[in-house]
Amino acid sequence: MTKKMKRVIKLFLPLVALVVTLSGCSLPGLGGTSDDTVRIAAQNTTEQQIMAAIIQGMIKHYSNLDTTVINNLGSATVSFQAQKNDEADLTAIRFNGTDYQTILKKSATKDPKVIAATVKRDFQKKYHMTYFPSYGFADTYQFMVTQKYAKEHNLNTVSDLKKTAPQMQVGIDQIWMNRKADGYGAFQKTYGFSFGHVYPMQIGLVYNALASNKMDAILGYSTDGRIGSYNLKLLKDDKQFFPPYQASVVANDKALKRNPQLRPILKRLDGKIPLKTMQRLNYQVDNNLQEPATVANKFLKDNNYFEGGQN
Amino acid sequence: MQNMNIVQQLFYYFAHNGMYVLSQFDRHFLISIYGVVFAAIVGIPIGIFIAKHRKLSGWVIGIANVIQTVPSLAMLSLIMLALGLGVNTVIVTVFLYALLPIIKNTYTGMLNVNADVLDAGKGMGMTRVQILRLIEIPLSLSVIMAGIRNALVLAIGITAIGSFVGAGGLGDIIIRGTNATNGGAIILAGALPTALMAIISDSVLGFFERKFDPTNRTSQ
Repeated sequence: MTKKMKRVIKLFLPLVALVVTLSGCSLPGLGGTSDDTVRIAAQNTTEQQIMAAIIQGMIKHYSNLDTTVINNLGSATVSFQAQKNDEADLTAIRFNGTDYQTILKKSATKDPKVIAATVKRDFQKKYHMTYFPSYGFADTYQFMVTQKYAKEHNLNTVSDLKKTAPQMQVGIDQIWMNRKADGYGAFQKTYGFSFGHVYPMQIGLVYNALASNKMDAILGYSTDGRIGSYNLKLLKDDKQFFPPYQASVVANDKALKRNPQLRPILKRLDGKIPLKTMQRLNYQVDNNLQEPATVANKFLKDNNYFEGGQN
Repeated sequence: MQNMNIVQQLFYYFAHNGMYVLSQFDRHFLISIYGVVFAAIVGIPIGIFIAKHRKLSGWVIGIANVIQTVPSLAMLSLIMLALGLGVNTVIVTVFLYALLPIIKNTYTGMLNVNADVLDAGKGMGMTRVQILRLIEIPLSLSVIMAGIRNALVLAIGITAIGSFVGAGGLGDIIIRGTNATNGGAIILAGALPTALMAIISDSVLGFFERKFDPTNRTSQ
């Protein structure tokens, strides 16, 4: 090794050292990765961000743990990876039906009870993650059209779409296309028709596309606040094709062990947020220019942080 | 909300989410500052060192230049592979981008110190440390300051992109605006404070830069 090279190496040693120390410590004011910081992963949907803020508010109220939200994750798979690699301690919302298919790669059944039990058991055993009881709301895919379109074509159920389907432009969630048990392929088999044009897009955009008449129908989430703000017509899933997906918080066992206060705090949210409440909270964010954090804090104050009740 | 124009929506937004914007502003600023401070701690000594060992300057500035040419989103993703999601990834990215302006300006500042003044110092019997502390650093401080100023403005922009790896900051508000129905006002609510932060920190550091400029100093 020449003298010159040694010098260059010497120069960059502090740089390397800095990166190493940085990754192991937390800086004041930012809530980094120290042991008593709870890292909450949240995806880029309104619902996820509201629930992340609610969990953050609960943890702040009941303990002196630091919290940080890892926001804007692209999909359920990304947030799962973050948790698996110990970059996050818990995910604000996981849907058991989605995890059943995309994480556990199963498609044996659509029975909600079997799915719930399987996901809870397998997450515990395989990944050492705890699936908490549901918040109280379930999300499911639902076909929606505008009231005007529904009246024109006399639509009430998904089966009613059969006649118009070949001419229809339909906006769907981009992950729905390739799902097995409840994806587009299985849908075609169950209902016996397919749509003229299907446009996979980011789920947040479909409602807008429908309201501005760029789409004839969309496949959206049943909890979205924009169903109310655009007054959309929900089509009944008359063949019960889409199973309800229960929403719950999922935490790493390691994090629960490290901070034992965490489990009772998260348990307080058990069943406290019914579907109507979630829709209302979503509506306030999507339609009333309020931040998820603002809405969550107000919600917690109004409900007195779910004091009392079981602990 | 639909009956308000975008300016009214913006005011409405700030009235209802003021505390949230403030907390994200705070976080954004801290992330940028930490990155730049670490870069200054590492970069200024490197700059001084390569000014004394000029043969190394090509190498070191070359490396810093290469770092600078990597697009920020790519850099962020690369560092994410090593450090994972979250705020530390963004701080390290900011740190790397802030290195070049700081090293380069320190180097230039040191080289531009008048050789006659250095000679005079030597003639007075100053040690090397004294020359550095009493002559070279004070005379190049304004140029170094200009480098830190550049670095900070750059850092504020990079931190906004940091929201993609979940670090938070004002970028969160911008991204949410792009996902929301009629999110124009929300995008502005994130973008305007970001721009404001860059402008304010630029002018504050510009003030210090002028203050440290030896040509502005009157002899007493």
